[in-house]
Amino acid sequence: MSIAAEFSGVSQVFGDFTAVDSIDLAITEGKLTTLLGPSGCGKTTSLRMLAGYSAPSSGTITIAGVDSTRTPPEKRGLGMVFQSYALFPHMSVAENVGYGLKLRRVPAAERQKTVMETLDLVGLAHLAGSKPKKLSGGQQQRVALARAIAIKPKLLLLDEPLSNLDARLRVQMRAEIRRIQSETGLTVVLVTHDQDEALEMSDDMVLMRAGRIMQQGSPQDVFRSPANRFVADFLGYENFVTAADGRAIAIRPEHLEVSAATPAGSADGLRLTGTITDVAFRGVDLLVTVDAVDDSGASVRLLSDVRSTGVDTLAVGDTVTVGAARGRLVALAD
Amino acid sequence: MKVRRPVASALAVAGYIVMIVPILFVVATAFTGGETLRFPPEGVSLRWFEAALSYEPFIGALVSSLQLAVLATVLALLVGVPVTLAIHRGHIPGKGLVEGLFLSPLIVPELVVGLALYQQLMIGLRLDNFETLLIGHTVLMLPYAVRVTGASLALADPALEEAARGLGASPLRAFFTVTLPLLRPGIFSAALLSFVTSFNNVPLSLLLQSRDFRTLPVTMLDYVQQSYDPMVAAMATLILAATIVVAVIAERTVGFAKIFGGINR
Repeated sequence: MSIAAEFSGVSQVFGDFTAVDSIDLAITEGKLTTLLGPSGCGKTTSLRMLAGYSAPSSGTITIAGVDSTRTPPEKRGLGMVFQSYALFPHMSVAENVGYGLKLRRVPAAERQKTVMETLDLVGLAHLAGSKPKKLSGGQQQRVALARAIAIKPKLLLLDEPLSNLDARLRVQMRAEIRRIQSETGLTVVLVTHDQDEALEMSDDMVLMRAGRIMQQGSPQDVFRSPANRFVADFLGYENFVTAADGRAIAIRPEHLEVSAATPAGSADGLRLTGTITDVAFRGVDLLVTVDAVDDSGASVRLLSDVRSTGVDTLAVGDTVTVGAARGRLVALAD
Repeated sequence: MKVRRPVASALAVAGYIVMIVPILFVVATAFTGGETLRFPPEGVSLRWFEAALSYEPFIGALVSSLQLAVLATVLALLVGVPVTLAIHRGHIPGKGLVEGLFLSPLIVPELVVGLALYQQLMIGLRLDNFETLLIGHTVLMLPYAVRVTGASLALADPALEEAARGLGASPLRAFFTVTLPLLRPGIFSAALLSFVTSFNNVPLSLLLQSRDFRTLPVTMLDYVQQSYDPMVAAMATLILAATIVVAVIAERTVGFAKIFGGINR
């Protein structure tokens, strides 16, 4: 597997704010890499540096083996889809998609052919003559995708591409982008703050926080073995306890059992006694909050996602045991 | 019909009457067959229009006014549009100060500007009065150029230019293929407002006039002081008609809401 783009010691400093703090990152060719993290983590700044819209304060960015740190965006040959889509309002859909080809002096007939093929790929060939303003948000997004793909970019960069779509369309477009990526074989870098989106779409996931990379790996690896508390927290591990031997442990709420009668969990796993402080009915599940004291003596608030049986006996104030099997305990590095 | 705000409506109607009725009197007297500016007019004729159009000082001044207005508009846009781009998109320090400087002609009394130009340019640098007037009118128009194009630039998504760059356009290419077409309505409005401002200007044109170069409003003012006949009314009516034509074009192409919305932002 070759490297499509690489960041080496890249920082971006705005005044006294360090947006990106000396990151090293390799983007694998032909894969979909997501930069994931809360707002202000540096993911969009990193993407903009890769696209050439902002120059790093220090470090180097290599694209296809060539140092491109100071290369202007028009010489990078990358396709970018903006959060606002940024379609040219005074041009038709076909003219938008053909804009990059026209600049590359592709002859009109060939350009027309590529434009229609690309619009076909995103399922919008019938709207070639429309103005962007007449299109729905989802259609505009497809046009933006087609415009970026038409120039056969070295990398396709997507900045929060789904954030302006409604929930149902967003889920559809995840699959759609995956399909387009596999049909074109493009290397894709996608920025998002939505962990579900990242888990579902990525080949490679990069979790960022405060300008640094917290963890990089396949969605399966990152989800099952979060490297630290931040990653675990971001991916929905709600429970953090300290074991008797001092190790930090994270447990997902759906793996934490609550029992009034028999001790929950297993003897070699986690087993704590506590008091229920809240029971929230969520349809299929109950979300039970239990205050307990862990093996290090610290007070902890635990969340357990219990399947509702219809005759739920758990009530606020009950003394219960909570626990998880050994295999469900995720040890954290810090 | 029930009027919802009687006082405000009455004031609005009164305002329109005060503004429009005197103009209607001027238009009516322009068509008189008599010798004086009197209402009601004595008979109907076009003789005063003929007289106005064959009166050399008026036609000469009209040509001067048009020359001045067109040239000053072009200059104001050539200076104002790049300044607007620098203020809104550039990374220059003290943007507010720069914008304030370019808007200040709206506030500084025109007589002061005129006197300053007279002293410095005509006496100091020995420029002739056309050149001085051209500079003066250009300065007066800069606020419109900066404000109105600024308003339409503020509405354009900065990502559009970035998108063009990413697709392979140089900064200049991105400007001409994406930014400029989007600014076209704003530039058109600015040009229109500038033109009208120059064409109607009296204080500056009065102060900086000369025997060889005089604008139409100044010439008409001069004429009224000497003789009181309906020829001035006929000339005023012609200008009014031309203004209405321009206004209709502006409304059809850009819309008044956009043009004047631009100033208030």
